Amino acid sequence: MDYTVMNVAPIVLLPFFAFVLNSFIVKRFTTLAVSISCGAIFGSFIFAFRIFKDFVFGTYATDAYVHKFFNWIDLSFGAEIFKINMGIYIDNMTAVMLLMVTGVATLIHVFSSWYMHDDARYGRFFVYMSLFTSAMLGLVLSDNLLSVFIFWELMGFCSYSLIGFYYEKEAAGNASVKAFMTTRVGDVFFLLGILALWSVVGSVTFVDIYAAVAAGKFEGVMALGIPVITVAAFSLFMGTIGKSAQFPLQVWLPDAMQGPTPCSALIHAATMVAAGVYLSLRAYPLMEAAGMLPYIAYIGAITAFGAATIALIQTDIKAVLAYSTISQLGYMVLGIGVGSYNAAFMHLITHAIFKACLFLAAGSVIHSLHDPHTHAGVQEMPRMGGLKNKLKFTWIAMWCCTLAISGIPFFSGFVSKDRILGDALLMALSNKWYIAPTILGFFAALLTAFYMCRMMFLTFHGQPRDKEVYDHCHEEHLTWNSNVPLLILSVFTLGIWFSGSLTGQGLVKVAGDRYEWFQTLIHEPVPAKFATHRRQQWGSEDIKSGANFPRASYDSNHGLSEEEAHHVHHIHHIGAIMSIIIAFSGVFLAFLMYVKKSVDPGWWVSTFSGWYKSLKNKYYFDDLYIGVLIQKGLLPFNNLLAAFDMGVYDRYAVDGWATVNRVMYKFARWFDDLIVDTVAVDGTGASVRLFNLVLRTVQSGKIQFYFLIIVFVLAGYAWKLVIN
Amino acid sequence: MITLPSYLFISFVLFICGLVVMIARKNIVAIMLGIELILNAAALNFAAYTKFINQNLDGHIISLFIIVIAAAEAAVGLAIVIRFYQIKESIHIDDATQLQS
Amino acid sequence: MFDQILFILSAVITMGGALAVVFSNNLMHACVYLLASLFGVAGLYATLNADFLAATQLVVYAGGVVILMLFAIMLTGGVQSTVNKFGIVKVPGMGNAKTYSAAGLAAVVISFVLFKILKNAAAMPAKGQMAYESTVEKLGGLLVSDHVLAFELSSILLLGALVGAAVIARPRHIKDDV
Repeated sequence: MDYTVMNVAPIVLLPFFAFVLNSFIVKRFTTLAVSISCGAIFGSFIFAFRIFKDFVFGTYATDAYVHKFFNWIDLSFGAEIFKINMGIYIDNMTAVMLLMVTGVATLIHVFSSWYMHDDARYGRFFVYMSLFTSAMLGLVLSDNLLSVFIFWELMGFCSYSLIGFYYEKEAAGNASVKAFMTTRVGDVFFLLGILALWSVVGSVTFVDIYAAVAAGKFEGVMALGIPVITVAAFSLFMGTIGKSAQFPLQVWLPDAMQGPTPCSALIHAATMVAAGVYLSLRAYPLMEAAGMLPYIAYIGAITAFGAATIALIQTDIKAVLAYSTISQLGYMVLGIGVGSYNAAFMHLITHAIFKACLFLAAGSVIHSLHDPHTHAGVQEMPRMGGLKNKLKFTWIAMWCCTLAISGIPFFSGFVSKDRILGDALLMALSNKWYIAPTILGFFAALLTAFYMCRMMFLTFHGQPRDKEVYDHCHEEHLTWNSNVPLLILSVFTLGIWFSGSLTGQGLVKVAGDRYEWFQTLIHEPVPAKFATHRRQQWGSEDIKSGANFPRASYDSNHGLSEEEAHHVHHIHHIGAIMSIIIAFSGVFLAFLMYVKKSVDPGWWVSTFSGWYKSLKNKYYFDDLYIGVLIQKGLLPFNNLLAAFDMGVYDRYAVDGWATVNRVMYKFARWFDDLIVDTVAVDGTGASVRLFNLVLRTVQSGKIQFYFLIIVFVLAGYAWKLVIN
Repeated sequence: MITLPSYLFISFVLFICGLVVMIARKNIVAIMLGIELILNAAALNFAAYTKFINQNLDGHIISLFIIVIAAAEAAVGLAIVIRFYQIKESIHIDDATQLQS
Repeated sequence: MFDQILFILSAVITMGGALAVVFSNNLMHACVYLLASLFGVAGLYATLNADFLAATQLVVYAGGVVILMLFAIMLTGGVQSTVNKFGIVKVPGMGNAKTYSAAGLAAVVISFVLFKILKNAAAMPAKGQMAYESTVEKLGGLLVSDHVLAFELSSILLLGALVGAAVIARPRHIKDDV
């Protein structure tokens, strides 16, 4: 099958057209607009599924890809560099990502049609969602960093709009600004990274960057004493940090929960925050060549652990999920850092599914519970409890996801997380720099299992703590379009969809090697392969040589020798066992604390009161940023700029310009008075008066004067006759 | 001495005198005097050419007609003058600005 | 010899009369000078062997036109006329410096052109002078043969002029439009 505009562009354009159309009709035809949005994203899903089928079940070679582009900006002066191309890049990773995004987005759209139904801005929500989905799909399909950046910013805008969706609430408005400004820090770095790459490679297309890495174009290129490749990799990773809410810039994501829950599910759990990780995965060869991986691993581990600790004490159900999202994104980044490319991407996919499901379930809970006095949705877990009797489907779906995220075997989270942790352990045993991240990662796994189960126990089990809220639970409001998406997503939390073995490392084979499609197909880009990469102009026919290569088969030894593989397998065994123990101990601890009540959470609070206090304050990051960075640093700078603006720019440039204008005005007035009025206008009058005088004299009515004229005319005529 | 140019000169003087009278005078009757002078200048030319160039009397015929027409013109013109004077109490040419009183 | 004396005399009278018409301040005088000038022209006709023309000139102009003019002057001279120092009634509208200068300009221009024309005309070779003989018979023959149409038309013209002059000059009783 050829990839042409007709079968690739609709993936992006269907939601985009839905956005454009809905922007106009949403006020009057709200129901139609919602249907259009849902239909458009489902259409994208169909097209994405086609691509997925081609790449995963099709006859393409494992490392086949489709790269089609056209020149957008050409600054090359004839050489093949300093061009900006726009195009699509589809490989196995793109195909899987497309299917995940469109599928999750479809289900969330369906869920939103239930969740947002009673909202005053029901339709507008879908307008934003369509634009967001379009941008996300565009990012996934992009073949170069610049279009990635464009879609990245578009998503940032949608995120901003949706966080501030309930703009009547001051907190929502502040949160949207905070999210936008915090990610902006990362975005600026991202742009710098793009420019750094462009200055060296002369192109921002992924394949060109890979080829440049392979060709060693970066060797010895320095900027201010730092290798440019380090600058570029660091800057791109800063983009990831901003978008994926990693360690220094994680503060915006918890506040982003002010938005409607479906948008949190789509944007702040499943897709947009994963886009940062996706970018890092795309730039993996660059990171590797720049030696950034340990740094990335540390960032990921610190994020995973720190966010998990904060999640321990959160009482807001969405806040727990928000911190768990940060924590899981930290896992992905840790996976990149330890070189576990495949596992990081797998965790991205599995996390997107179970976290979307968790958020949707939390949305169901919040929407079903109402404060009988204020009629606002209830998000506080201390007011819940015992809801499993009322919200059956929600309970089932949420438990599936909780088990998945906690890393219980046979669930998808275990498969992916175990592989990340196993690879981390492998790295730690060979490189002492990786010891700390690995330990943090395992601890975070324990905490994850604990806080997720804590959330489940507090929400669904035990006795209802707030009887009024419990009694007002509107379980009857749950309809098919709230439950079906949850159940579909919870089905895909099973590990069997992603791996044929129990742990994902091919250790305990459940269904055989041929179900290891994920590990078979997803590999980090090897730069050497791209040194002579094929370029296909937009609209050209596909090179179908992929069919000539044998399809890769799963190799449980990962291409290592038998001896090395044995060592690796050994360590993976240890990792898997540790993971299982940790997961179950976390679940058990939560069970003891919140179901058996044999361990008092209050004891922990009083014993580690200082720790608790800093957790309550989210490690003081908000205070640091707002109190120190903004109040002490940016605000005086801002004031300085303002003073400069007022004192220098306003006074000299603006007022000076005004003076210049005043002088010009005076000249213009003088000109107007003298030239236009006096000469032109009055001159016209004068000329008319002059002609009037002449004609009046001629038309005197005096016979002799006419006769005189006749004489002169005759004289002239006769003269003419005589001369000629 | 009695040559064509001398006659032409005389008729030229007559013509110029008539012209000047027609333009300079403000009296309608005086203007008619100028007209007579001009007509005479023309008639004299015809007669002179007949004698020195043509010699077939056609010039005399035309001179004769000029005299006739001059007489008719004088008759009608003077009638108009008198009528004009009755109406306007003036024979000043600049008062003659209307076709109908 | 007689011819030459007659010619010089006639030329002097003609041009002198014409100039006097131009420069005379008295309309009555101007009319008389015109009469003199017309006599001079009749004399010139005589030197041109045009005896019939000379006679006609005398009869029509001296006997008709000029008398008509004199009557017209006298009929219209009364109201605004002034009396000069000799007590002679002077008809107004004899021109002033302005009108004379305009007329002079026109005269100069015209004479400039006429000189050009007359120079060519004078350069025409003369065929010699026509022998003196009576032209009356020949003119009579021509008028009723070659030029009979013009002759008849001129008679109609004269009739029209006669009737027209009478009609125009007829006094009208202006009715009181009560």
